[in-house]
Amino acid sequence: MFRHLRVRFTSLFRRERLERELDAELRYHIDMLVEQNLKTGMSPAAARREAVRVFGTVAAVKDDVRDSWLSRFVEVAAQDVRYGVRSLCRNPGFALVIIITMALGIGANTAIFSVVNGVLLRPLPYQDGDKLVVLHQGEGDPVANDLGFSPKDMDDYRQARSLSGVVEFHNMFFNLIGRAEPERLSTGVVSANYFDVLGVKPLYGRTFVAADDAPGAPAVLVLSNKYWERSFAGDPSVVGKIFRMNDKPHTVVGVMPPVPQYPLEVDIYMPSSACPFRSSPHMIENRGGRMLTAFARVKPEVELKKSQADLELVSAQLQQQYKEYYPQAGFRAIAVPLKDELTRNFKSTLWILLGTAGFVLLIVCASIANLLLARMVRREREISVRAALGATRTRLLRQLLTESLILAVSGGVLGLMLSSFSLKLLMTFAARFTERANEISIDVNVLLFTLGISILTGLVFGSIPPFSRRVDVAPALREGGRSSHSSQGVRSALIVAQVSASFMLLIAAGLTLRSLMKVQNLDPGFKTENLLTFRADMSFDKFPLTMAPPEARQRRSVYWATFEDRLKALPGIISAGGGGTFPLNENPPFPGGFEREFHPAVPGAPQPQMAFRVATANYFQTLSQPLVAGRTFTDGDNADAARVGIINRSAARHYWGTDNPIGSRIRGIGNRPGSTPGPWTTIVGVVADVYQQLDQNQPLDEVYVPMRQIPQFGTTWILQTRLTAEDATRQIKAAALAHDSDLPVSNFRTLAEVRSTALAPRRVVVALIGMFGLLALVITAAGIAGVIAFSVNQRTQEFGIRMALGAPRSRVLSLVIKEGLVLVSAGLALGFFGALVLMRVLGSIIFEAPAGNGPTPPPLKLLVDTRTTDAGTYIGVAVCLVIVALVACLMPARRAASVDPMIALRAQ
Amino acid sequence: MAPKADLLQGTLDLLILRTLSGEPMHGWGISQRIQQLSKDVLQVNQGSLYPALHRLEQQGLIEAEWGSSENNRQAKFYQLTRDGRKQLAEETKNWDRLSSAVARVLAGL
Repeated sequence: MFRHLRVRFTSLFRRERLERELDAELRYHIDMLVEQNLKTGMSPAAARREAVRVFGTVAAVKDDVRDSWLSRFVEVAAQDVRYGVRSLCRNPGFALVIIITMALGIGANTAIFSVVNGVLLRPLPYQDGDKLVVLHQGEGDPVANDLGFSPKDMDDYRQARSLSGVVEFHNMFFNLIGRAEPERLSTGVVSANYFDVLGVKPLYGRTFVAADDAPGAPAVLVLSNKYWERSFAGDPSVVGKIFRMNDKPHTVVGVMPPVPQYPLEVDIYMPSSACPFRSSPHMIENRGGRMLTAFARVKPEVELKKSQADLELVSAQLQQQYKEYYPQAGFRAIAVPLKDELTRNFKSTLWILLGTAGFVLLIVCASIANLLLARMVRREREISVRAALGATRTRLLRQLLTESLILAVSGGVLGLMLSSFSLKLLMTFAARFTERANEISIDVNVLLFTLGISILTGLVFGSIPPFSRRVDVAPALREGGRSSHSSQGVRSALIVAQVSASFMLLIAAGLTLRSLMKVQNLDPGFKTENLLTFRADMSFDKFPLTMAPPEARQRRSVYWATFEDRLKALPGIISAGGGGTFPLNENPPFPGGFEREFHPAVPGAPQPQMAFRVATANYFQTLSQPLVAGRTFTDGDNADAARVGIINRSAARHYWGTDNPIGSRIRGIGNRPGSTPGPWTTIVGVVADVYQQLDQNQPLDEVYVPMRQIPQFGTTWILQTRLTAEDATRQIKAAALAHDSDLPVSNFRTLAEVRSTALAPRRVVVALIGMFGLLALVITAAGIAGVIAFSVNQRTQEFGIRMALGAPRSRVLSLVIKEGLVLVSAGLALGFFGALVLMRVLGSIIFEAPAGNGPTPPPLKLLVDTRTTDAGTYIGVAVCLVIVALVACLMPARRAASVDPMIALRAQ
Repeated sequence: MAPKADLLQGTLDLLILRTLSGEPMHGWGISQRIQQLSKDVLQVNQGSLYPALHRLEQQGLIEAEWGSSENNRQAKFYQLTRDGRKQLAEETKNWDRLSSAVARVLAGL
């Protein structure tokens, strides 16, 4: 049979070869005719003419041959399809069950694959996107220990000859002033040739040119497509408009087309000369001031490996030349394809989801195979009759497979529809992990994937039943359609496989659910109820940038102190605290190196680090973060007073051990030896730990400093209020306007919202895996019920005899249930070992999701504080499966027990 | 398909199968052999020979292989498969029945 199929597939797909062979075959025939004619004494030309005449038109012969290649295949296939559809229509319930089961399995896989396709497989939608790379430099693993790049570094890496353009990017927030309300805009500060290297042409106006980046050049802006649509309603006349930003006017010169933005979505772009920090002489000259991300384009003819060697050459040179600026051990630079960079932290989650979806499909496959097997037993007579009437085994097999394929493809189409409904949800979910989320769609790849797995699934579940049973004409006809036990073994094996696969899937669901519950129930160390947060960002030019730093600090301190007083004075506000960031916020506090007085750094030992937080006097009280020892800040801890700090319990335990930290002094030190340390700061208090991220196993070591002593440009505020969030927001906006009409306030959220946003990705992943698990459970339960019901049917007579001989109903009931439980136990045992092996294989992915620095969001650790062998989960899942199996067995068992012995015996 | 065509096609198929029951042969050889055995009564039209060969190959009754011919050229050789042999036996029986029936009818008149 396979040989014939091969011939047919050859005729479908290797048309060209067939044509060549046909040519050769016919030419041979004509040549032979010519030869024969020559023997009779004709001239060569006449001989050939005569041969062609006798042979007839070659093209016509070819046409007829070609017809025979395809016609039979198509003809038979059409016949099979017609017959298949008729046969399925006779039993619509059966067909519907299979199509729905199939649709669920295919839908799950299509949905997940569309995400995989959109973010992992598709090339970046930039010109030659595969040639775009991100550079990293650092010690050991440059991705994990990325130092970032300084403008000086950038200049040096531009020497790498295999790179055709090295451009910089960094993200800042600036205030745009000159519209109805001051706006705080996420800004990409880039090299002038940034858009050229990425290969982006402007939608309106122009992008940056080299002259824009010259020192002192007039400041210019390019708007992102989204910001332009959102804020300017897509009005092209915005090009040429002038707004105030920082300390100078900025002219809008262009609008970007709607392309995805890497490395992250920003509102506007400006050349590096326009950024007050990047363009300061100190920044330009300081090799150690590394705040930039470096992008590059590898030359078209160069392989990535080659550019790698080039980069290492440059990094080795830098390390030699400027010893004090680069780590001396294991320092190197690498290039990572931009495409990989953007999805690094999402990959493992995606593969796990695709894997679980694959498990569902396997279960679906086994379940449908079982249903078809049962149906085939019932169709035995029909099949035998067809065989007796002359249908060959091949023909019957083809017919059965055709039916399976009809079911599979219908299920696939329905599944595709199901998955397209879930697309929006999945995009929102993916957006938390990668900037490529917007590229998720159902494209040709996804369609081909769906079609492919539908057909594959159809072939698998379609070929299990016919191959597990021999179609014998005589016995089936003679026995009056009652089947032998030959297929029962296969059916049981399928059930065992389903149970074990479901068990594994449910273990995965159970473990991730347990982690979610742990994370959800984790006490973050502060209150999240009735708290409203927002951020307020002073323009960098609020006080002239030329002002001496101490005076500027003094002015900022007063500026925020006044703002704090305004907030406190609002009616309905119970308490207001300010800081740099707050726990659970997406922006974590920055870590910094510090030194403890009388405890100088041990050479060679890792530098002590603490996360650096800013807080007002009321901050701890507003958050209900308990004070453990000493005092909190007061309004008196201002720019004129002695420097004070508060550490958290974790830092105290870590760095002070049994010593009392209160009264001891610390100072911040730069990351390089030789940099000027900060002023000595006296520890005045210890507060309880809070979690910045809920799935962190350890709280950070933290040091808090008073906002009045370290006043920053950007602040976040937390308010405990009696008002609704809307009312409070309105009041705060009014207060901010009264305080400074150029002060944008934004990002109003309740802490409960922040918390649920932080939990959302984990919730979605757990919901997806859980849904897959539930699907598996339902399908498996239905499968068990089906198999037991079938077996009961077969044994009706036996049960009749047993009861006629005096067996009580309960005995029959337990017989049937035992049969089911044996299958389930075998499945559980298999699944148990499978789960252990699987978890071991996956362990590293689940626990050590590789984190990288840079603008991409952190990866999701699937298991938090939960072991892969968590006994509770295993027992829980096993019990749940057994109960479901019992219920599934009970229905057919009760039917078996209610058999009337007389009827059962007579039925034969 | 019209019954008349079926009959003709079936006859040609039977002749091809019978010719191939000995050794593998190429298309030219088959046409020559049929002509020779029938003492030039049956002239096989090439326009139907090749489509028939390809059809029989599709049905799995014969299979083809490239080999060198008596005059040392590459030619496509056909030979019977197991199914083909069965089919030949079947068809021969049918033909015998049919022809003897026809003969009896003709004799009876």
